[in-house]
Amino acid sequence: MSKLCLFIPIVFLLLTTSPSFCNNPAPQHKDTEHNFLESTKQGERIFKGLVLTKSNLKSCVSCHNLTYSDTLNWNPSAWDIAHSFADKKTSDFNSVINEPLAKVMSQVHDGYQYNEEELNHIKNYLLSLKTHGAEEQKPVVNNLILFLFLGLLITIALIDLFFTKKIKYKFIPILIFFAAFGYQIKMLSEDAMALGRNENYAPDQPIKFSHKVHATDNKIDCRYCHTGVDNSKSAVIPSANVCLNCHSIVREGRNSGKFEINKIHAAVENNKPIEWVRIHKLPDHVFFSHAQHVNVGKRECQECHGEVEQMHIVKQVEDLSMGWCLDCHDKTAVDFNYNNYYSNTFKELHLKLVKEQTDSVRVTDIGGRECARCHY
Amino acid sequence: MKKYWKSQQEKNESPEIKTVKHKPKGNLEQVLDIFEDGTVEAKSNRRDFLKLCGYSLAITTVLSSCENAVQKAIPYLNKPEEITPGIANYYASTYINGSDYASILVKTREGRPIKIEGNNLSPISNGACSARVQASVLSLYDSSRYQHPQIKQEKVSWDEFDKSVSDALEAQKGNQIALLTPTIFSPSTRKAIKLFTAKYPNIKWIQYDTQSASSILKAHKLCFGKEILPDYRFNKANLIVSFDADFLGTWINPAEYIKTYTDTRKLSGTSNKMSRHIQFESRMSLTGSNADERHTIKPSELNLLIAQLYNEILALKGLKKYNASESSQKIKELANDLFKQKSRSLVVSGSHDLNAQIIINAINYELENLDKTIRLDNPLQNHQAIDEDMDQLINDLVSGQVKGLICYHSNPVYNHHKGDQLKKAIEKLAFSLSIHEAPNETSSLMKFVAPDNHYLESWNDSEIKKNSFSLMQPAIHPLFDTRQFQASLLKWSDLETDYHKFIMKNWEETLFPTQTLYTSFKPYWEHTLQEGIFEIKNNSQAKSKFAQVDIQKAFDKLTQKPGTKNIELQVYETIALGNGTSANNPWLQEMPDPISKICWDNYLNISPKQAKEMELENGNMVKLNDKLELPVYILPGQAYNSVSIATGYGREICGKVGAEVGFNTSGFTQNGFSNVKLQKIEGQYDFAMTQTHHSMEGRAIVREANLDEYKKNPKAGNDHKHKYKNAGIYKEPEFPNHHWGLAIDLNACIGCGACTIACQAENNVPIVGKKEVIRAHEMSWIRIDRYFSGDENKPGVVFQPVMCQHCDNAPCENVCPVAATNHSSEGLNQMIYNRCIGTRYCGNNCPYKVRRFNWYDYTQADSIPNNLHDPAGLTSDLSRMVLNPDVTIRAKGVIEKCSMCVQRIQEGKLNAKLKGRKVKDGEIKTACQQTCPSGAILFGDLNDKSSELFKVTSSGRNYHLLEEIHTLPSVSYLTKIRNKKS
Repeated sequence: MSKLCLFIPIVFLLLTTSPSFCNNPAPQHKDTEHNFLESTKQGERIFKGLVLTKSNLKSCVSCHNLTYSDTLNWNPSAWDIAHSFADKKTSDFNSVINEPLAKVMSQVHDGYQYNEEELNHIKNYLLSLKTHGAEEQKPVVNNLILFLFLGLLITIALIDLFFTKKIKYKFIPILIFFAAFGYQIKMLSEDAMALGRNENYAPDQPIKFSHKVHATDNKIDCRYCHTGVDNSKSAVIPSANVCLNCHSIVREGRNSGKFEINKIHAAVENNKPIEWVRIHKLPDHVFFSHAQHVNVGKRECQECHGEVEQMHIVKQVEDLSMGWCLDCHDKTAVDFNYNNYYSNTFKELHLKLVKEQTDSVRVTDIGGRECARCHY
Repeated sequence: MKKYWKSQQEKNESPEIKTVKHKPKGNLEQVLDIFEDGTVEAKSNRRDFLKLCGYSLAITTVLSSCENAVQKAIPYLNKPEEITPGIANYYASTYINGSDYASILVKTREGRPIKIEGNNLSPISNGACSARVQASVLSLYDSSRYQHPQIKQEKVSWDEFDKSVSDALEAQKGNQIALLTPTIFSPSTRKAIKLFTAKYPNIKWIQYDTQSASSILKAHKLCFGKEILPDYRFNKANLIVSFDADFLGTWINPAEYIKTYTDTRKLSGTSNKMSRHIQFESRMSLTGSNADERHTIKPSELNLLIAQLYNEILALKGLKKYNASESSQKIKELANDLFKQKSRSLVVSGSHDLNAQIIINAINYELENLDKTIRLDNPLQNHQAIDEDMDQLINDLVSGQVKGLICYHSNPVYNHHKGDQLKKAIEKLAFSLSIHEAPNETSSLMKFVAPDNHYLESWNDSEIKKNSFSLMQPAIHPLFDTRQFQASLLKWSDLETDYHKFIMKNWEETLFPTQTLYTSFKPYWEHTLQEGIFEIKNNSQAKSKFAQVDIQKAFDKLTQKPGTKNIELQVYETIALGNGTSANNPWLQEMPDPISKICWDNYLNISPKQAKEMELENGNMVKLNDKLELPVYILPGQAYNSVSIATGYGREICGKVGAEVGFNTSGFTQNGFSNVKLQKIEGQYDFAMTQTHHSMEGRAIVREANLDEYKKNPKAGNDHKHKYKNAGIYKEPEFPNHHWGLAIDLNACIGCGACTIACQAENNVPIVGKKEVIRAHEMSWIRIDRYFSGDENKPGVVFQPVMCQHCDNAPCENVCPVAATNHSSEGLNQMIYNRCIGTRYCGNNCPYKVRRFNWYDYTQADSIPNNLHDPAGLTSDLSRMVLNPDVTIRAKGVIEKCSMCVQRIQEGKLNAKLKGRKVKDGEIKTACQQTCPSGAILFGDLNDKSSELFKVTSSGRNYHLLEEIHTLPSVSYLTKIRNKKS
C-alpha cells in the first residue's frame, strides 16, 4: 500500500521486476525439465483434481490450500504437508492418505484409494512445492492504478487548459485538476500515516492455533499462557512446554486433527522452537509495560487486543498509534482507592477527590501525556 | 576566588583568540566525507555528489516501497523457571582479573549479561565497581577472543587437543616445565593446580604480578615472620601519609581503599571530623590529586625521606637516631603530627625497595599503628608473587634449563621488561601451552592454545582476604568453544572435569564445617551462591610482634643512595587499562585519564619546568633513550627531572580496538624507576583530549573551603549565592508528586571515572573513536571535569562530575523548535529522540554543555549504511548483545543526554505501584550512583522532606552550578572541603 508514496521509478520497478504480476500459480520449471510425463506435473494434476478419478471424491486442493486465505481452513495447507512429509517414506504417506487412523481424517479421507505410483507423483509434487516455497500473496494494485489514473486525469486537464483548449468552460479542467490532485493528496497522506502501522494485520501462523477454541470453548484464562502480563513489560508468548501441559494428553484436536498438535511435539523433539509471527509490535523507541496497564491500571486485555477469545486467526484490532494511546490516557480515570501509590504520592489530587471537588483523576492529570513515560 | 586553569596553554596564554588548528568544514563537505575511507584524505568531486544524489533517490524508493518486514516472536521451547522475558535477573558473582577483585551482581536480560553492579553485601568492595569492572561485560562479547582450541594455529577439537597435550606432557616428563600464572587467590584453583603439579612433578608453579607487591611481602616476612600483605584500614586513620602509593588508583586493592578512605572524609550534618592525607610522589596520581598536602619529589629521593621520617619519630620517642643527613622542616613537622596521632595514623609506601618497606614497617610499629590501622590477622591475598621467581624463570628459560612453559592469563612478553629475551626463549621451547581468553603477544608464540572462558562464563571461588570468600558463577553458557583454565587442569590431571562440582566438594570439605547455621551442605551452598560471599568470623585479637630485623643495615642502604641528576622514568598503570589486558575494550580506551583527560593514548608526562627548559609543548615529540619516540604531555605536579609513562598501550597482538593504540613501554621496568635520556625531536602529535573546551572562565563552578573555615561557618566558600526569586520570564514549574534530584559531594568524589563507564553500559552510550574525540564529538553523558589551581608545579586539583542538570528553568527547552526536549512534572528534563530534528539549538543554549549530538550513526539505528561510523565494531550482532533493551539506541542527527536514568525511575515507580505503596527513599539508584566507590552521588526525591537527598541539599555546603543564570537545576553540588594545616 505504501508504494503509493512514490513516483514513477516504482511503477517501473514493479512492472519490470515483480513476478507476482504474472498469472501462473504453478511453480516454474526450467525449460529442459518440461516434460508432460514428469512426475511432479502428474502429481500436480492429481492434487488439483485435473485427472479423472474413479469416484466423485473431492480433489486434494479443495481442502488443502495452495494459497494464503484469510478465513481459517483447519486442514493443513499443501505447503505444510510438504514440510512434514518430506523425509517420510511413501508407505507412511500411503497410510495417511488411504487409511488414516485419526478420527477427523478418517472421516474426510473415506474412499480415497491412490496407488503407489500416484502417491509418488503427489509426493514429488509436494516436494517441489517445498523447494519452490509457498505461493506469495499478490500485491493489491487497485490503489496504485487509481493513483496513476488520477495522475493521467491531471495531465489531460492541464494539457487541455493550456494547449488544446477543447473544453469550452475553463472551470471544468480546473475542477478536475483540483479534485484529482486533492484525492491524490488524501491517498498519500492516509498511506503515509499508516506507514509502520499494522491495523487488521492477521498473518498465517506456523501452527493453526485458535484463541476461540482455547479461550472460549475450553475456557482457559488468558493468564494461564500469557504469564508475564502481571509482572513484566512483556505478556509473554507461552513456551512449548506450557502447550504440552495439556497437549501431552490432548493429542487430537476437534477441528484440525493431529496435524497441528503434532507440530508442538515435533518442535520439542527436534529442539527447534516454534517461530510465531509477531502481530502486535510497537516501535523500538516506545516502552510499554503490560504490568503497568493490566496489573496496576486494571485494564482488560480486550481493550487493546479486541475480542481475541472470538478469533480463530489473531488480528490486530487497533492501530497502536500514539494518538490512540493518548486518547485512552485522556479518557481513563485512575483508581485512587485501589492503589496506595497514587493516594500517597498525589496528595493534593487525592484530597480533591475526597472532598469531591473533582469527579475523577485521569491518567493525563498525573503525567500520562509526558514524553519520558514511554520514550527513553 | 582562586584562579583556576584547565591546561598549560590557558594558564600561560592570554585569553585572546587562539589559532584554529583544524579548518572547519562546511556542511556539504562533511556530508561528502562519507565517501572517504577514513585514512586517505581524498577530495570529493562532482561525481561523488551525483552518486550521493542517485543513491539517496534509490534509498527513498526502496524504503518507501517496502512493506513492514515480518517479525518473528520465538518463545523458549522449555522456559527456565527463573526467566521471564522483560524482567532482569541478577546473579551474585565475583570479578577477578589478575589482582583486580570485586564482588558483583550480574544483571542479565533474557539470559544475556548486560550490566555489572556492585554487591552490597561484600565488606571488601561494598557495592561499588571500578571502571574496569563495569567495562568487563563488554569484553565478554569481544569477537577477537579465541573461539576454539588450536595446535600450531590450526583448529582442533577438545578431544584431539587434550590427547596431544597429555602426550606432550608425558613426553616432557623428564624436563622441567613452568606453570606461569598471575597471583591465584582462589582456594579451589590452588587445589586444582596442586593436583596438576602432583601428577606432573616436573611442573613448577610460578606467580607473576605486573604491579608487584614483592617488597612488601618480603618486608613483612622479615619483620613479622609472615609473607603477607597487611590489611590497611584507612577508615581508622586520622592522618594518612603515603610515599608514592597510589592507593586510590592502582595500588594493591583500590576498590576497598576508596571506600574506607572516603568514609573518613565525608562531612555529614553533625560530624565535622575528617582525616588528613599527605602524599609524596613524583607523578600526579589520582591519589596525589586528592591529597590535602602533596609534595613532589623524584622517585630516587623517596628513600631518604622515609629514613629521615623514621629518624624524627625515633627522636620524638626519645630513642636513639640512626645516621642520616639533617631532615627538612617539613619532615620534622610531619613526624610531629604523626606522633600526635599515634595509633590513629597510617604510613604506606608503594616503593619497590625492600629496605624502604622495612623502614615503613618500623615507622608504623613505632607509631603503634599495628593492630589498629594495619592488621596482620586478615591479610590480603591478591598479590603473592615474588619478583625474583620471575627473574629466575626468565633466566632458566633463556639458558634452556626449563624446557616447557604453560602460561595462564599473563602476558610477560608484553609487560615484563625482559620481554624480548623471553620471546626468543619461548620460540625455541619444545612445549608451550597458552591458556588465555584472547590472543596476545605471549600466547601467539605458543604451540598449544587452550582458550579460557570469560569470567562471566566460569565457575570459581576466591579468598581476597583471609577468611573472606566469594563465589563466581556463570551468567551465560560459553559463547565459543572454550573451556575454563581449572577444568582444563583437571582434565589433564585425569580427574573429573566438572569444576563446578570440584568447587562444591572443596567447599563441603573445608568451609562448610566452619559455620553452624546450616546443618546440611545443599542449603548452605545455595544460600552462599545467592549472596555471593561467605565470611568466617574471626574475633581473635592476636598481637603482632615486631621481629628484630637489622634496621641499621636497611637504614644505611636507604641513606647511601645519593640523589642523581639524571632524568628518572616511572612506568605506571592507568585507571582504565591497567596492565593492558583489557586493551581491546573500547569503553576503557575512550575513558579519559582522570588527570590529563586524554583517551586512546599514552604519552610521556613531564614537568612544566622541564618543558620550559626543553622548549616543549603538549604533543611535541621526544626520543626516549634513543629508541622510543613519543609525544609529551606537560603534567602539572610532575616532579622536575622525572618523567612517567603509562603501560598497557602499544599492544601489538590484540583485537581490532587495542592494537597499535599508543606506545609500547617494553624494556622499561614496571617496578621502581630507571634513568633515561630525553631528546626533543621534530613532530607534533594530536591528543584525543576531552577537556579542552570546558573552562571555568572565572566563575564559581567548583567551590571549596578548608576544614577550619568550614567548622566556623558551614557555608564557607559557598558565598556566591544570588538572591533573585522567580527571576525567569516563564512560570516556575510545579511538581505535584515527585521532584527527582541528584546531589554530588565534591568532597567524596575522587575522580576515578567509574560512573562514566557505568553510565555508558546502562544507557547504550556509543564509542566514537580517537579521530572523533579530537573533533570534540565524544558522547559521554556524564563527564568529570578536572580543574587545577595554584602553582603549576604544586597544583591543587578538583574533580567535578557534570551530567545534565535537569534545570527547572531550562535554557535548552525553550529554544527547541519541535519541543523535542521539555520538562516533566517530576522535574526531569526529557529528551525525545524521535521528535528531534537535529537543529542543535539546545546544545548551543545549554550552559553546562552536557548535550551530545550524534554526528554519525554509531549504533546502526539508521537503515542507511553509509551513515555508520563504528570504530570499535560495536554494531556486530555479538557486541549488540550488551545493549540495554530498556534504553533506545539513538540514530544519526539527534541530540542525546543524561536522562537521570529515567528507565530506572520508571522501574522503581512500577515496583512501588505493583506493591501499592510509596516509592521508598533510596530504592531507586541511578547507574552512576550505584557504582560510585566513594558514594559521592545521591539520588532522591526533593519533594520528600524525610529523604536523605532533602537533608543533604539543605546543608550549607549545597550549591548549584551557575546559580547566577537562574536555570534552577535539580542537580546540586556540595562544596569541597580540604583538610590543610592552618
